[in-house]
Amino acid sequence: MPGYQSINAKMLQVPIGPGQEVYSKRGAMLAYAGPVSFAPTATAGQGLGGTLGRAVAGERTAMMHVTGQGSVLFGQSGMDVTVIDLNGADTLYVEADRLLVHDASLQVGTMFMGEQGGVRGIVRGAVTGQGLFTSTLTGHGSCALLSHGGVMELPIGPQRPVHVDPQAYVAHRGQVQNKLTTAVGLRDLVGRGSGEAFQLELSGTGVVYIQASERKI
Amino acid sequence: MSTFGTRTWNPGTLPSNDNVNPYAFSVDLNGQWFAQKGKMIAYYGQIKFEALSAGPLDSLVAHTFNSPLYAQDWIVAQGQGKLLLADRGYDVNSFDLDNGNLTVRAGNLLAFEPGLELKQSIIPGFLTLIGTGRFVAASNGPVHFVEPPIRVDPQALLGWADCPSPCHHYDHSYMRGAFGAARMVFGIGGQSGEEHQFDFTGQGTVLMQSSEAVMNEDTLLRDLEGQIGLVGTSGLQRLQNTINQRLSAERQG
Repeated sequence: MPGYQSINAKMLQVPIGPGQEVYSKRGAMLAYAGPVSFAPTATAGQGLGGTLGRAVAGERTAMMHVTGQGSVLFGQSGMDVTVIDLNGADTLYVEADRLLVHDASLQVGTMFMGEQGGVRGIVRGAVTGQGLFTSTLTGHGSCALLSHGGVMELPIGPQRPVHVDPQAYVAHRGQVQNKLTTAVGLRDLVGRGSGEAFQLELSGTGVVYIQASERKI
Repeated sequence: MSTFGTRTWNPGTLPSNDNVNPYAFSVDLNGQWFAQKGKMIAYYGQIKFEALSAGPLDSLVAHTFNSPLYAQDWIVAQGQGKLLLADRGYDVNSFDLDNGNLTVRAGNLLAFEPGLELKQSIIPGFLTLIGTGRFVAASNGPVHFVEPPIRVDPQALLGWADCPSPCHHYDHSYMRGAFGAARMVFGIGGQSGEEHQFDFTGQGTVLMQSSEAVMNEDTLLRDLEGQIGLVGTSGLQRLQNTINQRLSAERQG
């Protein structure tokens, strides 16, 4: 099965065929060759429960189901596209609006941030504007993420937690706990803060993907 | 080389008709070039920039610039020196045409040699270059070349060369079948956002970019204005009604 092929940093070619269907962000198709069809989908392969979860969560990035036989080029707004392959071993956590395209063979879920980090998780969502829910992807297959200027991979080890700026955070995978750490001092209260009062602390074993930009989608 | 790896250029070391970096192009000007307004970032030498309406340019414009719709967006750079062109941090590339034709999105064409003739494409918002010469165009990310048959999202289309003009393709196949009927009736799922493409067939090359964030509304408006001449009195009245309806709807919304 031929996989996702990067045309350049901002364009991705995905083969479509029987048993090789994908879900993609609406409006992210650049071109296609062959009999390929795009159908809007409310469930994005999550089933009804996931859909309800998404609706409640406001995590409702519109997706479409791509089927047929041919190849499709994906990209959006000149953002960089990164392909991540999943081998079934671990789960990828990613903001739904950063998910450009993923194989239909992957199981998609929605995770409540409160499950990881309790109240802090909720605060994290509120503070960073990332929302309280994050999409999860598991199984065998590929997916592609959007970022401004590409992503860097930072390994997370048991003795080596990683602190990232919540706005630079793109995704993470593995057995990772995240919590919001605050470094709010007197200076922040009087409006003279460093602008880096909140950081995301990721600990455990895995990888975090970050972008060299603080711009959201 | 300076500390941070950026080079300091001077008129002698600036490339001649080549890229300075992926985002800027240096034209070795000796005579005249057409350039789009606002795309010049710097120049060395004796260069004058004149509007197309300038009297002495009349015969040049008559020969090579056949698009009154875009005339106010363009200037002629004439003289001698190095002319630097760039656009919004987009990737800039030059292309040579040898007795050929190429159509490109109007907003993305930065400059061209007078050896080329500029005409308006049948597809609104695009310009066609015919003849022999060099031109400079910008794209959001590197240009990707594909061959027909292919269907391209209108926003991702940068241009095409040597192939017939595209036609519109509308895809509503997902509205068929039991699920589709339900969608149709209840409006669930709505649009896929990808119903409309430009369909290319025949021999040639299609140029693509990662899609544009926003369409240039100004260009679209001027295209609409340009086509108003094609409708008669009854058509104009109908347009007026449509516009009035839209306006009152906007006011209420």
